[in-house]
Amino acid sequence: MAEAPKALTASAEQTTSRPKNRKLDQWIAFWTVPFFFNVFGLVFVPLSWMMPPRSPSSPTRHIVDFMHSHNLLVACVILTLAYGLAPVSNACYLMQVKRMSVSPAFRYSMMIGAITGAIVGMLFPMFCFGLGAFRAGYSPSVLTMLYDFGYLAFIGSLGCFCVMWMAFGLAIILDENKILPKWLGYYTIWQYVTELMAAPVWIAKSGPFAWNGLMTFWFAMTLYVSWQFIVYLCIYGAIKSQPEAELDNAPLEPHPAALETTSRTTA
Amino acid sequence: MTSLIRNPLTIVWALLTTVTIASSWIALEGGASHRINTTVTTAVLLIAAVKAHLVIRHFMEVRHAPVWLKATTSGWVLALFALLLGFYFASL
Amino acid sequence: MTDVAEGSATGVDQSQRAAGARGHVPGESSMWFFVIGDFLIFGVYFVGYMYFRGQNHELFLSSQARLNLDIGAINTVVLLTSSLFVALGTAAARAGNTADALRRFWTALAFGAAFPLLKMFEWIPEISAGLTPGTNLFFMYYYVMTGIHLCHVLLGLVIMCFVIRNLKAPGTPKISFVETGATYWHMVDVLWLVLFALLYLMR
Repeated sequence: MAEAPKALTASAEQTTSRPKNRKLDQWIAFWTVPFFFNVFGLVFVPLSWMMPPRSPSSPTRHIVDFMHSHNLLVACVILTLAYGLAPVSNACYLMQVKRMSVSPAFRYSMMIGAITGAIVGMLFPMFCFGLGAFRAGYSPSVLTMLYDFGYLAFIGSLGCFCVMWMAFGLAIILDENKILPKWLGYYTIWQYVTELMAAPVWIAKSGPFAWNGLMTFWFAMTLYVSWQFIVYLCIYGAIKSQPEAELDNAPLEPHPAALETTSRTTA
Repeated sequence: MTSLIRNPLTIVWALLTTVTIASSWIALEGGASHRINTTVTTAVLLIAAVKAHLVIRHFMEVRHAPVWLKATTSGWVLALFALLLGFYFASL
Repeated sequence: MTDVAEGSATGVDQSQRAAGARGHVPGESSMWFFVIGDFLIFGVYFVGYMYFRGQNHELFLSSQARLNLDIGAINTVVLLTSSLFVALGTAAARAGNTADALRRFWTALAFGAAFPLLKMFEWIPEISAGLTPGTNLFFMYYYVMTGIHLCHVLLGLVIMCFVIRNLKAPGTPKISFVETGATYWHMVDVLWLVLFALLYLMR
């Protein structure tokens, strides 16, 4: 949102026009999150039945049918188009983390963790299932490999997200500016724990520790989804209570005499 | 040094260590055959519940905490071990 | 957020009684949020273990026989002893005896550090013998639960180092921070007590 350059000249005209919503950028980023997650949810669940995860020990016949299904094709199309919103929703969190009194190392770790996580956890599965859906003619064994690859990348991609959640959690706990509540920091540490909990999916092909298992999927998802809602509500509060003067795109303190001359000659 | 030994915390620790050894012995002797043994299981689980409760009350100082914390922690110990024993006996 | 009890200089016990006078929540309440939540999360694992065990007693019993109960028991006593010294250290810090507190926390740290060491003596022979998380459901639960617990222990040791650093620094130590760190460590102890009974002892 390039509002900053206009700020100096606009401030002189502001008396008659509507007050600028300087938090518009944050609110737009904020509202992409439910949009993005709802699109995701629709695509993954009722549309393609990719979620809840199918069994890792499905017979080859079922895997091939699934990979060639029409619904999976539509799901992949939507995913390819909507994928770009992921960075925007992460930007929403990072703008608030920037205000914290902790080292910038935390938000850089979060950023890189989110980037690598999105590539591995979302792009790779999209390619795998997309290959099955868009390209006919792969042998069943190749399709099975793509199926495994897709699901393992989606659920088993721990490392990147571990860093991200640990950085976010620690930032909140150590922050002295009280941007987000401390208990949320501890809740975020559990996000990190859910990644550890998901590690067994690499090994187990059935039972509670498989990628569709009670412990690694259902229980981990309960923690993960509840956190998403809660952090979202907390971010809403943080954006709302952020003082205008503190915003990155707040107008610089103008020198009164200089501003008068400038606005009259350039406006 | 003697004040340390007579400190209530040390006494609790001595109790905890003793029952730890006792329950290990119960499992080693009574459970040596590695077959289902409801006596051993009930004994070791109840002992574990008591140990957990002692650590929470004395080491974690919940004994001196407000009622809500006492209730929550005791409630957790109670609910957990009730569920554990419940599922165990239900499966036999 | 919390009442910091003012202990008298005469003896650790009096400061403990003083703490009791006002319904004191030790350390920061956000740490208690974490503790209770962690209790619940591990609780789901514990009950899940018991449920799945119920479906295959034979498998779990024969697998249990391969565990090293001796190291398990020693580790239990190690953690209990470490907790004792953390509790004693916290009381000393509250009473203003920072030197005593520091000594006790160093002792607690030493015992605590023994836990992961002993764990390696337990895990490495087991893995060498071919008992891995993939062996069967019992061993999956065993490695996952003790693994996540071990991560908690390592984090606790780091926290304890920060507490020691705080006690060593000139000036009065932040009692709330000491209590918060202590609360975390005791939680780790409690979780192990349940794990010990479920994995090593029960039949």
